[in-house]
Amino acid sequence: MTAFYLAGALFLLANVVVALARVLRGPTAADRMLSGALMGTTAVAVLLLLYGATGIEALIDVALIFAILAAMAVVTFVRRTWPEDADEDRPREEP
Amino acid sequence: MHPVEMLFDALLLLSMVVLAWQGVHARNLFRAVVSFMMFGLLTAVAWVRLEAPDIALAEAALGAGLTGALLLATLGRLDQGGRATRLRTTFMRFSLPWMALGLAGTTLLLAVTLALPAPGLDEAVLRAMPAAGVDSPVTAVLLNFRAWDTLLEIAVMLLAVVALWSLGQDVLASTPRLPAPALPALVRLLFPLFLLSTFYLLWRGGHGPGGAFPAGALLAAGLVLALLAGARVPERMTGAPLRCALAAGLLAFLMVAVGVMADRGVFFAYPPQHAPILIAMVEIAAGLSIGVMLTALFLGGEPTDVEGGPS
Repeated sequence: MTAFYLAGALFLLANVVVALARVLRGPTAADRMLSGALMGTTAVAVLLLLYGATGIEALIDVALIFAILAAMAVVTFVRRTWPEDADEDRPREEP
Repeated sequence: MHPVEMLFDALLLLSMVVLAWQGVHARNLFRAVVSFMMFGLLTAVAWVRLEAPDIALAEAALGAGLTGALLLATLGRLDQGGRATRLRTTFMRFSLPWMALGLAGTTLLLAVTLALPAPGLDEAVLRAMPAAGVDSPVTAVLLNFRAWDTLLEIAVMLLAVVALWSLGQDVLASTPRLPAPALPALVRLLFPLFLLSTFYLLWRGGHGPGGAFPAGALLAAGLVLALLAGARVPERMTGAPLRCALAAGLLAFLMVAVGVMADRGVFFAYPPQHAPILIAMVEIAAGLSIGVMLTALFLGGEPTDVEGGPS
């Protein structure tokens, strides 16, 4: 069963890497933010699977904190950053 | 070690290196901020893999909540004209010397790590645990054996707030970019959960990973969420009550430290039979105070713009 949990965690981590590509490529700020939120949700699942594999109870607490804080970044983004910073990711010319 | 575990660790390490590089070198500041936030996320997973759940908890509570909010809010206030485009042209002049220096520093750190005494202080801590007053070795070190360090950490945080407040008024008055009609309802739903988790972590600190710092970070995240939803610091709370809340952690810590001198005349020498209650008092006061201090850091200055809205 441990191997099953670990394989699941590995699969989800591979998903994180895919989301990472979207964070890096953009093109808009909202794309990056949303894939960031996806990575957060995936991290919760990874932590719970690692709890299944290792049995360290504190991992549930870490997952709980990630889950409860998931809204923070998106809310701050919507209230403080978006939409003025919604720039396309093309290299700017030097002035 | 299981081969799947090795693959997992390798993938984790690779992603962290890419994110760290992006966090420092991305031309687009927003991309750098998101990369840094995701780096924090994976760092928490890395701490879990290193079997350090206490640090993972602190990293999760601070990194996923307040750090990201602070960076994003700062980004929103930056002058949009001058985005950092100059970094990429100076690889030879700028990056190369720093990379060499970083490599040298890392090598030195590695050498120092290898030179450390092998079993560390685990034995000494475990031997002293019966007199600690708590079941968690980490909490025992933070709030009993090395309480002096924690006291100074809280003093540094308070100093940071004082320094920030001396720079000017709060910046929250700036109007949000978009109307968000659903946000107050969401915050009304979430805020009690934040409070509940804060007290859960405070209670948990006595016998497992948890404690004042993660609890304070969660409380601050809840308060910041409320501020973002349009809540303002109520008028009767500004001034003296807020300052008292900010200083409460440090004051309670100092009072306990000096108070226990009545017993044996030694600073911070808790009498063992009273240690549990004293540590619990310090932890609760420090946790709530840390929460208020972190929120004050997000406010960016002493709250003056009072509109009397809901808190």
